[in-house]
Amino acid sequence: MRREKQRVIPPAERATPDLDSGKYLVMWQGPQHPGITGNMSLRLVAEGDTVVDCETHVGYLHRGFEKLMERRLYMQNFPLVCRIAVPEPDFNEYCYAAALEELAGIVIPEKAVWLRTLSLEMMRLASFLMWIGGQAGAFGHGTIAQWSVTMRDYVLDLFEELTGGRIYHMYIIPGGVRGDVPAGFYKRVLETMAVVEKNLDDIELVMFHNAVFKMRAEGLGYIPRDWVDHYGITGPNARAAGVARDLRKDSGYLAYPRLDFQPIVGTESDAYERARLRLGEMYQAIDLIRQIVDMAPKDGPFRERLPNPLYWRIPAGETYVSAECTRGEYGFYVVSDGSDKPRRVAVRGPSYTHAVSVMERLVRGVNIADVAGLMVSLHTYPPEIER
Amino acid sequence: MDIKDFIAPFAVWKRAFEKPFTVKKPIDERPGAPRYRGFHMNDADACVGCGTCEAICMNNAIDLVPAAGREAKDGDSGLRPRIDYGRCCWCALCVDICPSGSLSMSNEYVWIDRDPDVFRYVPGVEAKPWDGSALGYRRAEGYRLLDEDRVPMPELGHAEAVASFLELVRGYSRAQAEKEADRCVSCGLCIASCPAHMDIPGYIKAVRDGDMDEGLRLLYETNPFPEACGRVCTHRCEEACSIGSGGDPVAIRWLKRYIADQVELSDYAKALPRGAAPSGKKVAIVGAGPGGLSAAYYLSMQGHAVTVFEAEEAAGGMLRYGIPEYRLPYPALDKDIGYIESLGVSISRGVSIGKDIELSKLRTDFDAVYLSTGLPVAYGLEVPGEDHPRVLDGVAVLARATRGEELGLGGRVAVIGGGNVAMDAARTALRHGATVDILYRRREEDMPADADEVREAKAEGARLVEKAIPLEVRDAPDAAGEAALFIWNEATMVQKEPGKRPVPEPIPGAVREGRYDSIIAAIGQGPDLSFIAESDGVPVKRFRPVVDSFGMATRAAGGAPVFAGGDLVNDRKDAISAIADGHRAAIGIDRLLYGKGA
Amino acid sequence: MNELAKELAGRYGARGWHDIRKDLASVEVDAIRIRDVMAYLRDEAGYGHLSFMTAIDNIERGAFTLSYALRDHDARRGLIVHADVDRAEPTVDSIHLLWGQAWTYQREMREWFGIDFPGSPRVDEEFVLEGWEGPPMMRRDFDSLAYSDATYAERPGRVTHDPASHMREKLYPEAAQ
Repeated sequence: MRREKQRVIPPAERATPDLDSGKYLVMWQGPQHPGITGNMSLRLVAEGDTVVDCETHVGYLHRGFEKLMERRLYMQNFPLVCRIAVPEPDFNEYCYAAALEELAGIVIPEKAVWLRTLSLEMMRLASFLMWIGGQAGAFGHGTIAQWSVTMRDYVLDLFEELTGGRIYHMYIIPGGVRGDVPAGFYKRVLETMAVVEKNLDDIELVMFHNAVFKMRAEGLGYIPRDWVDHYGITGPNARAAGVARDLRKDSGYLAYPRLDFQPIVGTESDAYERARLRLGEMYQAIDLIRQIVDMAPKDGPFRERLPNPLYWRIPAGETYVSAECTRGEYGFYVVSDGSDKPRRVAVRGPSYTHAVSVMERLVRGVNIADVAGLMVSLHTYPPEIER
Repeated sequence: MDIKDFIAPFAVWKRAFEKPFTVKKPIDERPGAPRYRGFHMNDADACVGCGTCEAICMNNAIDLVPAAGREAKDGDSGLRPRIDYGRCCWCALCVDICPSGSLSMSNEYVWIDRDPDVFRYVPGVEAKPWDGSALGYRRAEGYRLLDEDRVPMPELGHAEAVASFLELVRGYSRAQAEKEADRCVSCGLCIASCPAHMDIPGYIKAVRDGDMDEGLRLLYETNPFPEACGRVCTHRCEEACSIGSGGDPVAIRWLKRYIADQVELSDYAKALPRGAAPSGKKVAIVGAGPGGLSAAYYLSMQGHAVTVFEAEEAAGGMLRYGIPEYRLPYPALDKDIGYIESLGVSISRGVSIGKDIELSKLRTDFDAVYLSTGLPVAYGLEVPGEDHPRVLDGVAVLARATRGEELGLGGRVAVIGGGNVAMDAARTALRHGATVDILYRRREEDMPADADEVREAKAEGARLVEKAIPLEVRDAPDAAGEAALFIWNEATMVQKEPGKRPVPEPIPGAVREGRYDSIIAAIGQGPDLSFIAESDGVPVKRFRPVVDSFGMATRAAGGAPVFAGGDLVNDRKDAISAIADGHRAAIGIDRLLYGKGA
Repeated sequence: MNELAKELAGRYGARGWHDIRKDLASVEVDAIRIRDVMAYLRDEAGYGHLSFMTAIDNIERGAFTLSYALRDHDARRGLIVHADVDRAEPTVDSIHLLWGQAWTYQREMREWFGIDFPGSPRVDEEFVLEGWEGPPMMRRDFDSLAYSDATYAERPGRVTHDPASHMREKLYPEAAQ
């Protein structure tokens, strides 16, 4: 009951504050980069310490990826795409590779299917570990960030061992993956999972049974269920609003149809609920990783041989391949004109709507001190907006 | 909210007594993972400087630069990749694609310097602390971006092959040719090794693009014998191929053949350039082999009227009379020659210079003369009994086979020699039902013949007798004049001078003999310079006309300038070198006729 | 699925239904019908989710091809709706009233391709290219490499050699003549 009272549904129409009246304060959040909230900036208009209007400003991480890709060979874009979303590059690699494979009619080996799934779930866990640190930090709980980022680093150690890189893995290459797992790798994966799981228990205790966090996060950023379709909301933001959509289940790509899991769905649809739901998805990712380690084939090829990358032409066509990233629907729309370079690549990142349209509306009526916490609770990555 | 929400947060304090996650060691003690993509390493001896790393690098981070102490040579540009870490993104596509496999990455990732320009270096040439690191990114087992395996060429089986004179090599289909062409990385390392410097990456691209007219045009820019060379070229290009540094070289020769095979002779004129307007100049060419006809082609393209004099009754030279039809079928050769003749080149067959017409007359009647008479005289065995009637000359045997004459080799044949003529003679004898021994004074690996030829001769049933030094040929005791005994001394290989190839030394007492119906000597051939008179002014040294870089031997007064080329002049003694000589002479003659080179 | 194709054809003159894969199809409509088609697909055909919108510069035929990617979450399938607009005068009806995030995509297309969506909120404001004065950057005739070469200096000291020409220079320079 109490949470329901805290819910505010901001109006669809923007306020038109009279800035000359002296009643309002215009202030900017960002674009310094102390965390994910500073990768873009918000122009806030506050009355007292309550935000009455907000405009988002993006572009600080625009690097023209989509333009760059049009003048590079298909294989040359493979090391480029991972940079579009820094904290979870693998979804870019997967969507790009899968789109090319679909257009070129390539079926990847079974082992590659499993290693890709492993890579994506490890990525999900690492990304959420960074996010939860940001979420706790935005409410002043920096200690949790120290724990969770350490855990993320342990997962990155695994990535380093598997792929040769900590952040940009460049592992999911068109045709399959770039290498088999090293000897003893699965054992170390399971060991790390045990450590991470134990730390998640600690985080669960101190963060989710915490009066300060509850007071600030409960009711904050309430997303009504009917917004989900209207704004194209996906991922945990939609699931916390009670919409059981998960592309891993619904599209059944990679090895997901053979894994045992159910989408986690919430009801309260506020910042606390979304955090709780993401914590659940971290445990779920650990569970999926264990299943994958158990079920992944130990032998067989890990990559299908493709034509010479210097001349690889892909038949004319278009496709859109999407995957469930930590934040929702991540997708690559690739158009080929039959040449050796893509005609058009468009990247669909969930933050495009979460951080702009949804954020601009949700922030109205929120205390200035809670703006960062609200933004993190939407789990936004500005680079995927700007590409 | 309940009481737990106030108490639980204090659980963080229990961590105060736990061992911290951070470590105190300095950062440089934390090595990268065994697969870490750190700073580049390059095995500069294995690297061939093909620049494929530069081609795949999407960051433009790689330059190819001359490396100290490395000169350009066959199969190595002498260049090495220099990496600019201001641009490199450590994606390692360069490692993945490297044809020779020389590029790799160390697991080192710490490098601090105040000078930004040092972060640009040539791995493997400029020494770095991480050179030779056992750890770091390597291409995974079973993972290549390029295909190291050549598309297999469909060939007749050996049993089938030896039973007929059908062409052994069947040629690529379109799909096979395009797949093979896709293996090429267009580095162009091969061009320098081709005596004619053909635009190999260009015509391979034409195969990939399915543009046969463009392919043919590129072939004819430097070589008017694509059908012949596409079958029997010594393909030095393939030895230089960068793909060959880590796998099978690209089948350049077969791709050339594929292009020529796809275009009908009647369609050649549409694809190939037209000749220049008639110049009014006349050029005589002596010898209608590949070199002479190559000169004829390029001269006629320049508008000159060309007459080729050929002593034999058919044109083609060694391509026709020295190479058996199972390797180069006559229709393929006729196609090459037919196109040259269709341009107005006149070939006077059965006319021998020095017998029917004197060279001096050519010098009077024509504006320039090109000599491309090759090496028609076979060397003898130079042992007692070499004049025995059962000792035959290898080139003559092949020529008689071409003319369709009865060879009468008998059932047991010895072939003496290790060159391509020896292999061709052996395989021709096999096709006439003989059992064949090939005797060679050195080892198999020392043979000057193409490795493929030796392999196929053996596969077809020829027996190889290595380290056999001929001693004598004698009449067989019971069949004087019908069969002969070939006597040889077994040898051992002795390294006489370091760095030079070992020399066969006879093993005392190890004398062997064999009884043969025919002994085919294929030791080598020499020139016939009898048609050149001193008054022609052609300088001759060590049985070779002396020529300048355009093949000009003389422009002495008293007649037209004389050029010479092909086997008569060069060391390589193969068709493609003769073709290159012919092309070069055509350029030289053209310049001279137009006063450009004066 | 074919029923929808027929329905769209009958109502809006849609054509060229193409099944890209079993859960993704594309269809083409006239740009002038786009708002009606999208409203129909959203309200009547189950395609309630707008994944993204973008454009492709088909400069060869003087058109921008708009792509609207929709998803029917219940039926678990996607549909890409295409509409061509004249490249010389690219104006399309806005769909910002249908989906809450559409205005951002329209603002992006206005900035990146120069396609106008009259009535779309803040459509003329800069999106990501603050201070950009060049032509719309995603147009095919904007050469980003030429722009970069003209705008930024190359780092000094960079020089490269083509292996084939280098070898010609070193090994057979006479052929260069």
